[in-house]
Amino acid sequence: MHEWSLAEAVINSLIRLAEDRGATAFEEVEITHGEIMELDTLVFRTAFRELSKGTLVEGTRLMLKEEKAKFKCNNCGAEWDFETVEKILSEEFSVIEEPSGTKESALHFLPNLAPALLKCPSCGSRDFDLASGKGLRISKVVMRT
Amino acid sequence: MSEMSDILFEEARRRLSQVRNIVAVTAGKGGVGKSFVSTSLALALAERGKKVGLLDLDVHGSSVPIMLGLKVEVRAGTEGFRPVRKHNVEILSIGLLTKDSPVLIKGKDKMDLITSLVALTSWGNLDYLVIDLPPGTGDEVLWVIRVIRNLRSAGALVVTMPSMLSRSVVRKSLRLLVDEGIRILGLVENMSYFKCGKEEIRPFGYGSGEDLAKEFKTRLLARLPIEPRVEKSMDEGYPPYLASNELRTTFSSLAAAVESLLQKA
Repeated sequence: MHEWSLAEAVINSLIRLAEDRGATAFEEVEITHGEIMELDTLVFRTAFRELSKGTLVEGTRLMLKEEKAKFKCNNCGAEWDFETVEKILSEEFSVIEEPSGTKESALHFLPNLAPALLKCPSCGSRDFDLASGKGLRISKVVMRT
Repeated sequence: MSEMSDILFEEARRRLSQVRNIVAVTAGKGGVGKSFVSTSLALALAERGKKVGLLDLDVHGSSVPIMLGLKVEVRAGTEGFRPVRKHNVEILSIGLLTKDSPVLIKGKDKMDLITSLVALTSWGNLDYLVIDLPPGTGDEVLWVIRVIRNLRSAGALVVTMPSMLSRSVVRKSLRLLVDEGIRILGLVENMSYFKCGKEEIRPFGYGSGEDLAKEFKTRLLARLPIEPRVEKSMDEGYPPYLASNELRTTFSSLAAAVESLLQKA
């Protein structure tokens, strides 16, 4: 459900961008989202559509592009992907989604928490980097002036 | 184009700007009792009828959940993380998410983590948000400086203890706050004394709080006694500032002083 908060942040950011550049509307916006966030694209699209109503972002064509997650251990050099993470992620570090009561990993909300919640599957070290697939960015915009 | 850190930083700033007053509790020195002061101040403000939030930003050494006996899972709704309510205070701590795990997070990742946490937290309608910071002048402190720098009703409360070492390290924190244009609300001297009958004994000496307050033209707002029952409170499940009447009275006065100072903003 963090999709609603993220959509709100993106819309506010787009409004600021339009104001800075003197734009009146957006034709198209592309958002690149990290795999580790497990963004529910349907919920994000709904949130984006609903929250942008009455703003200059309303009616923008929204493109969503997923970026694969890549981990690399600084101790043993092992590299792994998100599929491996899903197997080793402990339920201990969960957030309860309301109103459904379902458990979601804290990692999906806060990808930068990875070294606190995970260890390298090869050597057990927490000294690893998440090289890609952790964030969300506005990767392309087409504005109308 | 816009990165997540920029998008969410603006959102974090927007959310915090909706809080009426922000008090960042800081100190250069570890172990002087910042979390004790933050927690107790938050509870004392709530006892005075204010709507209060407590945000624990000590990424590596989060203490607020331990201090308040919080062992709950964080909940989230469409508006983001929902702080946990205890003793009439809305509480959010990174420690609630990381439990007993060591947190090996570096540089920009730490800044981005704090940004995301704050941008995705819904505090509701708060009169006061007390922010508990880690020791030193690292990323967490810099993050808070960037956010509160331009807020009208925000300031820092600096905790020290009566030792030459503390005075020297806390001075660096005070200098940083002055250099960065952060309003210093005042100082709190923890572990200042204990009472033996009517006599006040100062086992760590005199002067840190008074001297620093004079040097930085601010006020020493409170001197806290050494109270062994504070430690016991964490086992027995009552808020540490209720460990003695003296502490309760002191924190109530501190809360009143902070309120009054922020009203003058």
